Amino acid sequence: MPDEEVLEEGVLNPVKPEIQDPLLKSLLKEEAAPVEKEQPQPLPDPTDEVDCVVIGTGAGGAPLLARLAMAGLKVVALEAGPWHNPSRDFATDEKAQEFLFWNDERLAAGQDPVAFGKNNSGTGVGGSTLHYTAYTPRAQDDDFHIRRDFGVGMDWPFGYDELEPYYEELEQFLGISGPENYPWGKPRRRPYPLAPLPLNGAAQLMARACQQLGIRTSPAANASLSARYYQEGVGWREACTNRGFCQAGCSTGAKASMDVTFLPLAVGHGADIRPNSFVTEIERDESGRITGVVYQQNGLPQRQKCRHLFLCAGAVETPRLLLLNELALNSGHVGKNFMAHTGLQVWGTFAEDVRPYKGIPGALISEDMHRPPQADFAGGYLLQSIGIMPVTFAGQVARERKLWGQPLRAYMRQYNHAAGIDMHGECLPHAENFLELAEEKDARGLPKPRIHFTNHENERRMMRHAEKLMRQIWTQAGAQDIWSFPRNAHLIGTARMGLSGDDAVVNADGKAFDVPNLYICDNSVFPSSLSVNPALTIMALSLRTADKFLEARRLVS
Amino acid sequence: MTYPEGTVHALLQTDLVTEATRTALQARLDAPAHYEPRFFDADTYQVLRAVAARLLPQPERARPIELAPVIDARLAEGRSDGWRYDVLPPDREAYRLGLGGINQAAQKQFQQDFRELNEAQQDAVVEQLAAGKAAGNNWMQLNQGRFFEELLAELTEAYYAHPLAQEEIGYVGMADVPGWTRIGLNELEPREPEEQP
Repeated sequence: MPDEEVLEEGVLNPVKPEIQDPLLKSLLKEEAAPVEKEQPQPLPDPTDEVDCVVIGTGAGGAPLLARLAMAGLKVVALEAGPWHNPSRDFATDEKAQEFLFWNDERLAAGQDPVAFGKNNSGTGVGGSTLHYTAYTPRAQDDDFHIRRDFGVGMDWPFGYDELEPYYEELEQFLGISGPENYPWGKPRRRPYPLAPLPLNGAAQLMARACQQLGIRTSPAANASLSARYYQEGVGWREACTNRGFCQAGCSTGAKASMDVTFLPLAVGHGADIRPNSFVTEIERDESGRITGVVYQQNGLPQRQKCRHLFLCAGAVETPRLLLLNELALNSGHVGKNFMAHTGLQVWGTFAEDVRPYKGIPGALISEDMHRPPQADFAGGYLLQSIGIMPVTFAGQVARERKLWGQPLRAYMRQYNHAAGIDMHGECLPHAENFLELAEEKDARGLPKPRIHFTNHENERRMMRHAEKLMRQIWTQAGAQDIWSFPRNAHLIGTARMGLSGDDAVVNADGKAFDVPNLYICDNSVFPSSLSVNPALTIMALSLRTADKFLEARRLVS
Repeated sequence: MTYPEGTVHALLQTDLVTEATRTALQARLDAPAHYEPRFFDADTYQVLRAVAARLLPQPERARPIELAPVIDARLAEGRSDGWRYDVLPPDREAYRLGLGGINQAAQKQFQQDFRELNEAQQDAVVEQLAAGKAAGNNWMQLNQGRFFEELLAELTEAYYAHPLAQEEIGYVGMADVPGWTRIGLNELEPREPEEQP
């Protein structure tokens, strides 16, 4: 294959193929010669230095952006993707919604390559919260101490008590729907502000079978509104209509993505959010202090000077930017400790009409396996019921069952009778699991990230344990034709937080050890994966990072 | 089990579907019958069509849903779904090698190109490919299992994104303007089609 096409691969705007014919090439060249070439424009060099630039507007960037703006700071957020109008532009169609995903190609390596794109990435104002499922369980107390309790992995530099006030603040601010009495974890000081969302078919099947087997379940906590809710800086947000399309974009504003919660709040307090702004360079002075960033906005280079930089681009783009800019690399841990939750799913076919496209996909949860007795692994996992959209389901059936021809079509005709359960469990950091820059370049001319991932003994044992249990639950529920879909979900690690710059990239406040005015806040700073969905904890860290920054600033002044 | 024909088609004409949703689905229904490939050469494109016809056979349809244009257009425009198995070459090269490899496997097994085989012979070649046992030099450069997975997944997703295929499986999630209130087991809204024996 000709070389020039490597550069075109996997990009929205392919590079124009180079002309191969030597004669035509020389003719075109001669003709082009006398025309005056467009000179590259010098970068605008605005004198207006802002207090903070925030890169990324997802769960890591948006809450702190609002916090900093509310403290009166001059803040600019740079978002690689566009600003959408969900009520007008979001279709109830999986293919049409693919613009929500980070579609620059990533290379998946290792024994258990992790899928990116629609599984694990996002772009647009709001980041991947635009298509997160909005599962918002709190992490439990012992989640932060996996090394203390099991002698493996890494402890967080602080515990649950440190994040509890932020969890509480977020649940109230976002309008999280949840049960009156959640059976697991420390008792909460304030109840969830809204009642839980209704149980769909998959949730009812799981509830019934678990009750018979003596496994506790509960309606899940979810950041979609079960009743209309007043959102500061936004106005009334309407209740969820059970569209079941959370993972392909909420068009009603019922789901607490950042674009309908923290970002309007930030804008109301003067934050400047710039969409379609892809950061390429982080500039520094001789002392190593960051002075500003260079970004491409609608194809034009721009510069923004800043006193402080908050890098919140997610566990792939954050380390990629650091590696590209050779920034904060002293610990040797940038790109290392990549983790992805054990996320195996079990599917079955039921006599009942399930219609898996209705209701929030994961309406029911069980954390009974958070620390299962007599387990042969460290940590634990949670279980969730799952509904699913048809194209996603079909793709999984093809990849895992390898059905084709009439058997594939016959199986898919049972779609309305399909229901699933999945797990999210601890993943330990391993030296073999890491992100690096590949030689292959994308259309921006930047090296593609290559992510190595292999489940090790602890993850494999945990998945075996969970698979056995989930199959037992589905058998009890009356499922036929049960099958498993092994996967890993959520991208975690790659710029971890710790007590020492010898083995961590940022300190307990989210501040880089190496760079005086760099903060990092997203799932990349997690020292361990926790055995719950990460979004709520990322947001809690985001608010905490802003508070720590503001506290330090007050001390200096 | 089947669902009544025309369900999705009828729903698309109603206010139960948003304008954005209707636009996306109607475009697939209205896709022209003839598609001129922009990435593949004419022969390779016909191999892709022939393979698609075995992976998702549609003998009951007078005009089968065309799946090959989805892949050809994506490769021509250089679009990606955001990731690639590191063991595979870039998508364009993978598809060229893979479709060429399918022809090599057909030659090895039946001494003819894939397109010239009858359906049973074509299925025999696909079976070998699915089992990772297809013959041919191209497979020295291309991981057969991962290529087959990608090919099958892309065609399958293209098929079930089509309104007629969604109708076939009884999916009417696109008609969501009023929301869903009857979401429990065996609970149907009037606009959800019932299965026919």
